[in-house]
Amino acid sequence: MHIKSPLLGGVARSAGVGYINTTMNIKFRKVTGDLRVNPGRIILVIFALVIGLWGVGSILVSYAILNRDLNENYTRTNPLHAAITSKDFKRLDLTALRNRPEIEKAEFRDFATLRIETHPGEWIPLWLFGVGDFNTFSLARIYNQNGSGGPITPEAGAMLVERDGLRFSNLKAGPPARVRAGGRVVNVPVAGIGFDPAQAPGTQDHLIYAYVDNKTYSKITGEAANQRLIIRFKNAKTKQEVQAAADGLIDYFKTLGIAADTVKIPKFMEHPHQWQLNTLLFMEGSIGFLAFFLGAVLVSQLIAAILAGQIRQIGILKAIGASRFQVFQIYLMMALALGVMSGMIAIPLAVKSGYAYACFVANILNFEVLTTSLPHYMYIYLMASGLLLPVLLSLPAILKGTRIPVREALNDYGINQDAGVKKSKLLDKMRLPVNLALAFENTMRRKKRLAVTVAAMSLGVAIFNTGFNVQQSLKDLLSDVNNSMKHDVQVVLINQISKEEALKYFSGIGNIRRIETWNGGRGAMQNMVVSTDDGVGIIALPYNSDLLTFRSIKGRWLSGPAEPEIVMNQEAAVLYGNPPVGGYHTLSVRGKQLKAKLAGIVEEFEKPKIYMAQEQYDALANPDHYVNSLMFVARDKGYGKVMALKRDIEKAIEPSSLQVLYVMMQAERVKIIYDHLRIILVTIVFLAMLVLVVSAIGMASATSINIMERTREIGVLRAIGATPEIIYNLFVAEGMIVSIASIFIGLFFSWPLSIVASRFFGNLMLEVELHYSFSKTGFVITLIATLIFGWIASRIPAQRAVSVSTREALSYE
Amino acid sequence: MPNFIQFNQVSRWFESASGRFDALKNINLHIAQGNHVAIAGKSGSGKSTLLNMLTGIDHPSQGTVRINSTDVHALNESALAGWRGKNVGIVFQFFQLIPTLTVKENILLAMDFVNVIPGRERAKRVGALLAQVGISQQTDKLPVALSGGEQQRAAIARALANDPPILVADEPTGNLDSKTTEIILNLFTELVGTGKTVIVVTHEKVAYVEYDRIITLKDGMIVDDTGRSRTQ
Repeated sequence: MHIKSPLLGGVARSAGVGYINTTMNIKFRKVTGDLRVNPGRIILVIFALVIGLWGVGSILVSYAILNRDLNENYTRTNPLHAAITSKDFKRLDLTALRNRPEIEKAEFRDFATLRIETHPGEWIPLWLFGVGDFNTFSLARIYNQNGSGGPITPEAGAMLVERDGLRFSNLKAGPPARVRAGGRVVNVPVAGIGFDPAQAPGTQDHLIYAYVDNKTYSKITGEAANQRLIIRFKNAKTKQEVQAAADGLIDYFKTLGIAADTVKIPKFMEHPHQWQLNTLLFMEGSIGFLAFFLGAVLVSQLIAAILAGQIRQIGILKAIGASRFQVFQIYLMMALALGVMSGMIAIPLAVKSGYAYACFVANILNFEVLTTSLPHYMYIYLMASGLLLPVLLSLPAILKGTRIPVREALNDYGINQDAGVKKSKLLDKMRLPVNLALAFENTMRRKKRLAVTVAAMSLGVAIFNTGFNVQQSLKDLLSDVNNSMKHDVQVVLINQISKEEALKYFSGIGNIRRIETWNGGRGAMQNMVVSTDDGVGIIALPYNSDLLTFRSIKGRWLSGPAEPEIVMNQEAAVLYGNPPVGGYHTLSVRGKQLKAKLAGIVEEFEKPKIYMAQEQYDALANPDHYVNSLMFVARDKGYGKVMALKRDIEKAIEPSSLQVLYVMMQAERVKIIYDHLRIILVTIVFLAMLVLVVSAIGMASATSINIMERTREIGVLRAIGATPEIIYNLFVAEGMIVSIASIFIGLFFSWPLSIVASRFFGNLMLEVELHYSFSKTGFVITLIATLIFGWIASRIPAQRAVSVSTREALSYE
Repeated sequence: MPNFIQFNQVSRWFESASGRFDALKNINLHIAQGNHVAIAGKSGSGKSTLLNMLTGIDHPSQGTVRINSTDVHALNESALAGWRGKNVGIVFQFFQLIPTLTVKENILLAMDFVNVIPGRERAKRVGALLAQVGISQQTDKLPVALSGGEQQRAAIARALANDPPILVADEPTGNLDSKTTEIILNLFTELVGTGKTVIVVTHEKVAYVEYDRIITLKDGMIVDDTGRSRTQ
């Protein structure tokens, strides 16, 4: 018969003493005590969690800001839906137009492409806008330099310059700028600096935007004002609806005797560089997810390591009456505590770096970060991910650890003695030095962990190397762009003139091997000069010109002047629905039509273009054999010499009556493309580096776990005469074996990954499938970085291993 | 006195790469409540395995274990934890206190898990238990600050935390000097006096302990069961 203990009876009579130690208090005391036992490893866990949370948090924050703010910057300008030009608008009653039911707003906003001197002797395109009234305009609004309010109204004769142009020019408020309009150079005072977030950044497109009143516009350009109407339609939700409304308006204008010269409908409610942002956000998202995934592997490994060291304690807890759920609670609390600690560090960092990254991107894309405080849900997301991340990731390890039967838990002495008992026959044959053979054998002992570590590290290596390969692919594309055009300087005229008239100003310039004359040129602006009726640029050139060497996608280049043949670049091919090579395509130019055979499709990083023999184009739409592009080939192609040639060309143009759209070196053109891609190239490598760092931390943690599990074995090794140096080298060798294995596997997988990534990013950014390129520099950097990271990752825990005394190691349980 | 602990045809074997190992073979054992029992035998004789059956730490491969009207062999891990907390206090050879908790907290933790002692009575009970085992001064110290004997006494106090009817000790003095051993074993004798069933696994016989029974194991079988005898 059970006799009730006098102790229990005695205690039962008192009440209220010491109840402060509630269940949770004691459990929490155990958690905090356990966390303090091995501060090095806990710091590693928190560091890993902070890195993961910081990365993911930064991505969330910057994503929220950028996604909202670029759109907000753009839409708050009240952007136009369509722009219509006509010389007959003097017949238009603007008030009557505004009263039409489909019209939301309509204003005149004249536009001219001129040239401006940014540095002595250096001229670049100037997009000049004529504004009716700076105080009342409500469409395509511009702001003051800080983006905080309306712009200053420039006095008559002066202009506002868009702020992005200041970064690459000598322009500033006060002194006059030299503007070239047609054959004239006009000095125009810069009244102030404005901000136009609806435009593509001037730094990337290498042009300046400026704004003047109507009178000044006419004075500078020599053109009448109010010839370009910008419109927003009511209830238009798509580009197609805008197109339909614009078509209706053109019909209405016809009834008024107004003939529309051009109708331009931009992408519907989308910033011109939204693609860049989309690419960045996608990269952030995908690489951030990978870093998060690797961080997840790492954290789960570390939590598993903590639990591995506590298996006997779990056995004791169960032996003294703890249920599985109670043990589970303790370790769940531990994971939550880790989450709270890392969240307290990572979340403020994530908010700051997320903002910083958003500001960096906003600065490059020339828009203002408008988000001053993050939405509350963002903090909830951040806190939830901070708490949930360690809990979810440690859940499998906790469940496994708490499921272990008491007997097994009480008998746990770290790594199983029979683990890895199968000796590798290959290693036997290799006759390696004993130390190295032992390192190999040890590496193979925990095969599952080894697989996870090598897989995580290999993934890091693969992504890191892929970053470089994609970068190389982009560089190769730029090189192709550079090589595909053999001219050195191109002069594009606004109007078409006779060949003789175009060439006569340049006869006295040295360093010219030859000048080829074309119709058409490069870029979107040229499309305004020579194009099909549906707006695709035409380049009419000698069919056998050696200034073009495009990579062929399908078919061949032009074969001669006699047959009506065309070659499209891939952008044009996509636009026309990928017509079959060898089939016939009907060109419509100035109302005249030509049925031409599609000889081939070429790869070109450009706007949609159609190439055809000069003779064919002249027969179709250019009876006077006019030209508008002068392709200069230099004798000496050194950069300095070509720069000098460009300056000489500018000098020749200055006194002439030539109306120049732009003068550009081929090297500058490549730089423009590079500037568009620079932010993406930098971000790719930065994010890839982040993945590699997280992988290396994962390896450090795995090595740390291995060492912890083998503490007693270290004691045995030392007891039989191994010096700390031998043990240190053993663990470093194990780390290096993992690194080398990861390098081989990672580099192998980076090959298919690079092919897929190059295609993907090419399509995303440029709508061009980038070709796989192998980056030698990237290979060397990957090799060195991985070995250094691997060495550091194994060195730190190895140093800890040798710092334990033989006695402590032998008594380790 | 009724059979408080009943082992019927209990066998326990383990399969390993080298074949089957029989740790216990057809053990039939009945222990009355309030007995002071020693389980003796050489290393590998099956003492610890028998103890694991007694505490529900391990399940028999064959046979039944019935303790205080509960079929322990039929309980799952979760039910066993609750049953063990209420019915068995375990004292380990290496004390096995939670190193990051103070002595008091170690005892409170055991109470928290089982939750049979009302919350407001726990602190008082801790004080009484520590006084009983003679380490009242060490209440707020971490285990590492205690001597081996003090740690074992703290472990006994923890084993008694929930006032279990059975106390099982696995070689509790194996790591202690002779003077401390005497203190600990006398403490067990005192507990028997309060009505506890105390079962001690030992491989040494000491003169001053009076056991009700000494059960000797060899190769997984009971080879001697001396009832109500004073050890010499």
